[in-house]
Formats: sequence, C-alpha cells, structure tokens
Amino acid sequence: MSQSAISIKNLTKDFSVGMSGVKLRAVDDLNLDVQDNEIFGLLGPNGSGKSTTIKILLGLLEPSVGECTIYGKASASVEARRSVGFLPEAPYFYRYLSGRELVRYYARLCGVAKAELSTAVDSVIELVGMKDAAHRRVGTYSKGMLQRIGLAQAIVHDPQLVILDEPTAGVDPLGSTAIADIIRELKSQGKTILLSSHLLAQIEGLCDRVAILHGGKLVREGRIDELVTPEEVDSFVVEGLTGEGRAAVQDAIKAGGGRLLRVEKPRLSLDAIFLNEVQKREIEAAPEESKGEDAT
Amino acid sequence: MNGLGFRQIWLIASNTFLEAVRQKFFNSLLFIAIALIASSTFFQQFDFGTGELKFIADFGFGALFFFGSILAITVTTQLFFNEIENRTALTMLAKPVHKFSFLLGKLLGVQLLMLAFVLLLCLLLAGILYWRESELLSRMDPELFSDGRLLRYSDILLFGFLQWLKFGLLSAITLFVASFSNTNIYTIIVSFSILVVCQLQYIARDAYADMEQGVGRFFVQGIGLIFPNFQLFNVGDQLLFAQNEALPATNLLQITLYACVYIAAFATLAQLSFRRREI
Repeated sequence: MSQSAISIKNLTKDFSVGMSGVKLRAVDDLNLDVQDNEIFGLLGPNGSGKSTTIKILLGLLEPSVGECTIYGKASASVEARRSVGFLPEAPYFYRYLSGRELVRYYARLCGVAKAELSTAVDSVIELVGMKDAAHRRVGTYSKGMLQRIGLAQAIVHDPQLVILDEPTAGVDPLGSTAIADIIRELKSQGKTILLSSHLLAQIEGLCDRVAILHGGKLVREGRIDELVTPEEVDSFVVEGLTGEGRAAVQDAIKAGGGRLLRVEKPRLSLDAIFLNEVQKREIEAAPEESKGEDAT
Repeated sequence: MNGLGFRQIWLIASNTFLEAVRQKFFNSLLFIAIALIASSTFFQQFDFGTGELKFIADFGFGALFFFGSILAITVTTQLFFNEIENRTALTMLAKPVHKFSFLLGKLLGVQLLMLAFVLLLCLLLAGILYWRESELLSRMDPELFSDGRLLRYSDILLFGFLQWLKFGLLSAITLFVASFSNTNIYTIIVSFSILVVCQLQYIARDAYADMEQGVGRFFVQGIGLIFPNFQLFNVGDQLLFAQNEALPATNLLQITLYACVYIAAFATLAQLSFRRREI
C-alpha cells in the first residue's frame, strides 16, 4: 500500500480566549488520511476548523494534541514543506512586484535551481493562464487573477502535495471553472490536492473524497459518489411521456415492489446555466473579434 | 544553516529593502533629514569662524541620530506588521522557510535601508563641511594649517558606521517587541521607551557605581546589563577635527563587538518569542 500523502491523528487544537484562560476548541480529535494523487475536499461552514487544520499541517500553528505527517515526515518540519505548495484564502501578495517577479521570488525561496528557474516560472504562468498579464503589477490584478497567480506560486517548485484554502472564494463562476480545470490538470500530473471550501456545488464535481467538519469534529468522510448517491433509490429521467404512459409506469413500479416517492421536473443548476450562456456568447463573439483584428 | 538558508535570508532582505524604499514614510523622512542638514549652512551669516564647522557637524550628527532612530523603529515595525496583517507571512512561512530566516531577512532588509540612509546623509554632511571648510581656509592664513585641512573626513563615515550599528541594535530590539506584540502602536511606543532608557542608561551606570552592595545595586546593575548603553556610540565630539586624536582601532572594535552581541541576543529573543506566535 502506498504511503499516505497526509496523515492526521487525534488532532486537537485549543485557542486561549482573553486573559481568563478560557479555551476555545477549534479542532476536536480529528483523524484523516489523504491518499497520494487524490483530490480531497475539506468541507464545512465558517469556523468549522478547516483553516486551523491546514495551518497546523503547514507548521504555522502548533497542535494542542495529536500529530500530522506529510508523506511520512512531521508536518511542522521545514523538510516536509519542501513537498508542499500552499494557496491561502484570499491571498495578498507584494503589490509592487509583477506577476512574473512574484512567482520567481517564491520559486527562489523554495530553492528552485537557477538553471531551471525561468522554465519553471514560465510553465506555471502558462498553466494558470496568466501569460498575458504576467508583466503587470500584482496590485492591478482582479480577485480571480490573484487566485491564479497564487496558484502559480504554490506549484512553481513542483510540490507533490498542493493545499488550497478556499481557492474559489470570491471568484466568479468562469474563474472558478478555470481554477477547477487547473486542479484537474494537477491531478493528471500525479499531484495530491487538499482543498477546503464551503462552496459545495464546486467541490462536488471536483473531489474524489471529502470530509465534512462541523464544530471542529469530523462529521462524515468518504467518496463523493458514496455520499451523494443513496443505494436504495433510483431515478429515471424520461421525455414525452403521456398521461397513460405515466399511469403505466406507476403501475409497473408498484408491480415491481417499489414505491414512487415523487415526480419532479429535472432542474439545471444556476452555475450550469450561467456558464452555458456566457461561454455561448464568448464563442459567438470570438469570430467577430478575430475579423476585427484581421481588418486592422 | 545551509546555503539555501542564507539565500532565503538574502532574498527576504532584498525584498524587504525594496518594499521599504517604496514607502512614502521613508522618502519623506529622508527628504526632511536632507533638508535639515542642508539648512545648517544658512547659519553662516552668524560668522562662527571655525566654530561654524563644529555647529554644522553637530547639527548633521543630531539629524542623523534623530531621524535614523525614528526610521529604524517605525520601518521595522511597519515592515513586520505588513507581513503579518496582509498575511504575506502566511504564504512565505508555508514554504520551506524557517521562522528565524524570516526574522533575520527582515532585520537585514531594514539594515540595508539604514545603510542607504546613513551613507546618503553622511555624504551630504561631508559635502557641506568640505564646502564651508574650503571657504573658511581661503580666508585664513595657510601657514596655520600645515596638514591642509581642518577636518578628518573619514571620521564622518566612522561616525555613520557607529550610528548604523546603533540603528541595527534598535531594529533588533523593535523586532523583539514586535514578535510578541499585537499592534503597531504598542511596538512603536515600547521601542521608543526602550530607546530613551538606552540613551539615559549611563545614569544608571553612574548610580550603581556609587551604591552600596544590596538589592538596589543588583537591580540597577541588571538594568545596565539588559539595556545596551547607547552613549557608547556617541563619539562624535571626539572625532572629526584633525586636532583631536582619532578613535583607536581597539575602541572601534570593542563597540562593534558590543553592538553585534546585543543584536544577536535580541534577535535570538525575537526568535524564541516568534517561534510560538500563531500566524
């Protein structure tokens, strides 16, 4: 069996509140294993302990109890962080650097060899789709662009594990889709991705496995398919059924020993409608723009 | 610490320097300090004679100390808290970077800034003194000055170097305060208070020299040991004029060593405190 990318055992974190010594428990006896080359979602409402868990994993906070390892190494050690890339929630970077300078700076901090520096920086900038804006100062970037350049700095040293804290928070659906595509691309390159989010619809189509936290405790954990698909229920989506046909279906279900729970119209998600409409218009606009460019 | 550790410290330092020189505060303070030193030449109308040079030198050294101290404390505080409040420290410390490398990088970055500040002001002061001295010499009997000049210009750089060491010490103290404090303003107030204590520390030293053995003497002696004596760096009066003796090399070495030991001690204290800080 291959080594776990992340192993969290009996993790508890208490914060002292004020001078009275009152403790606030942010993470409560958490046990988790993230396997190599999977996309693992850490879900939960605000204050459920997702970010605290991530900070402990990165050695930014000390656990009150328990231990975490990254590929077998104590996660608090600098050595373990060599194989980790991290994108914080709502990242803020040095505004006076250009996107390329920023990624280069972090690459050098991570010890990327001088000979490989330019190639590494260019390839991640290309991967996150920031080639055209890489020369601009970070201070001029939109939220979505900040997330993308943040993703570039997280992966520039080719880490095996990428930790993303709310990677799509505050980003429009188009930007979120682009980030999701990059995450899938990272998985196809063999990387392990741990991401935290409270935007469940986005996570659903992306993660292999998820863990749901609430009040610092692990509530559910498993593969997405197992969690969202009840074994004992089936659904049929049919088209053009007459009144008689519907009655016949109902009779057939009864005869087969089943029970019709409800009949409803299938709904599309608002995300899907939005993306569909915007992408359709962008495709329509593309030939006209290229015509305009040709004319000039 | 390996080669990568030193490279990381240098990278953080150069980025800190870049960030600092872009700040309006630094540029404003530099401009005011330059303007103040340059304004000292207006006092020539009082016709001090050679005393004019002493006046300009004291004025320049005073401006260097005053603005340098403000700069060392505020810039160290600002650059440290910018990293914490903007959460760029979070991104950096999630990389394979030791917290100590981060702190040393910040300290070195501020020191580079202070070096630029000190050099600029010293060169300006030297330029003004040379101009005034040349004018004075042209009015005096050249036979009186066999060596050719009234001033020893290398002493300006020497004084600048000692002030730079003092600012380094002040930055290290500020960094230590910042490592456990939660706000900018608290760090600045406490650091300025420590600066005053360090400036007046010689009073405590004089006091315990006259005291009987006991708790009081032990307490005052402790204060004298914990807080560095900033008066050691104020050797401006002994320097500069060619007629005075130059600062012996052993003294210079002792002062440098004294500053380095205290900088190392405060940087270590900052690390011990910052190690447990939750980012």
